[in-house]
Amino acid sequence: MELSGEEKKLQALFSELKAADEQTTPHFGATWNRAQIAPRRVRIFNPAFVAAALLLVFGVVAFAVWSRHSRTATSPQPVIATAPQNPGNTAGAEAPPTPETPMPQPKTAVVLSRNKTTGQRNVMLSAANRKLQKDAKSIASWTSPTSALLESPSDEIFSSLPELNQSATQLKSFLPSRSN
Amino acid sequence: MKTDQIDIVELQDELEKLHSASFGWALSCCRRDHAEAEEVLQTVYLKILEGKARYRGESSLKTWLFAVIRKTAIGEYRKRLVRSLVFLGSSERHDTGVSPADAPTTLLEKSELQKQFRVALAKLPARQREALHLVFYEDLSLSEAANVMGISIGSARQHYERGKKHLREWLSHTETENGIVWRRKETPSAV
Repeated sequence: MELSGEEKKLQALFSELKAADEQTTPHFGATWNRAQIAPRRVRIFNPAFVAAALLLVFGVVAFAVWSRHSRTATSPQPVIATAPQNPGNTAGAEAPPTPETPMPQPKTAVVLSRNKTTGQRNVMLSAANRKLQKDAKSIASWTSPTSALLESPSDEIFSSLPELNQSATQLKSFLPSRSN
Repeated sequence: MKTDQIDIVELQDELEKLHSASFGWALSCCRRDHAEAEEVLQTVYLKILEGKARYRGESSLKTWLFAVIRKTAIGEYRKRLVRSLVFLGSSERHDTGVSPADAPTTLLEKSELQKQFRVALAKLPARQREALHLVFYEDLSLSEAANVMGISIGSARQHYERGKKHLREWLSHTETENGIVWRRKETPSAV
């Protein structure tokens, strides 16, 4: 390769660099001998093996934590509080007694994040229970706005039963009144 | 040991002949870090002893050895990088804030120009520096350099030309800046 003027300068600089490096080059025998000793030292600590072992341990721990959380999250059976059967007929009636015992966890509260702590979960659970009780009360006291239209004077007849020892005249009162 | 004893003895002789050039190449691959270059070279010898790196005669021994050194240096650099990230902030950090140009070898620098040349060389992209080193320092041809670098000859030529252009620019700039000073030193009576 034909070298130009500047290339010759570069060549000279590289040659000077090479000469300086040669003075600091370690002895071949020393490096070679160290390399011969090295294998035993290297094989004691295998980073790949350690990394694989750590990964395995992490995987086992993660699986254990996940399985524990999934079990606790799915165990409570969701029970929806039963509302009164005929809310329209209970006009003026008292609301059925709400259960004193804590309500079972509603379905909406079941969907809890697995990462939540137990304390957070308890707080959310109690809030859901309170909401559910409030809803149950409001449903029980609900009356239809048109319930007054369903009332009639003969409601009393249907709501009470004649007794056997009553006289015929008294029993007449249960008969529909005739105007003519 | 997987390699035969006779082969190792023969190889050892050849490696000894190439040791100085190998160290120079290792220095270039390790950004002129003396300790790192020594470690890389030791790892290369270890690979050869264990049979992990085998010479199959597909190219010259020098080209093969240099390719192994280059790969090992890259691997060692990555390991160091990971280690430095893991032990970030701890006392185990290897980096002492001394640039490769300021390594102990600089004590042997003979001229100011040589010092500046090392700095300019360190600033070059790795591929360009490698191509220039292999051609100018190791006297390899471009095709041999391409073999060592694991790239095509076209790419090697491109890196070589670009690197040369950068160094030429640096050289002309340095000469313009310091020419008068050097001339004064060389021939004080002329100024």
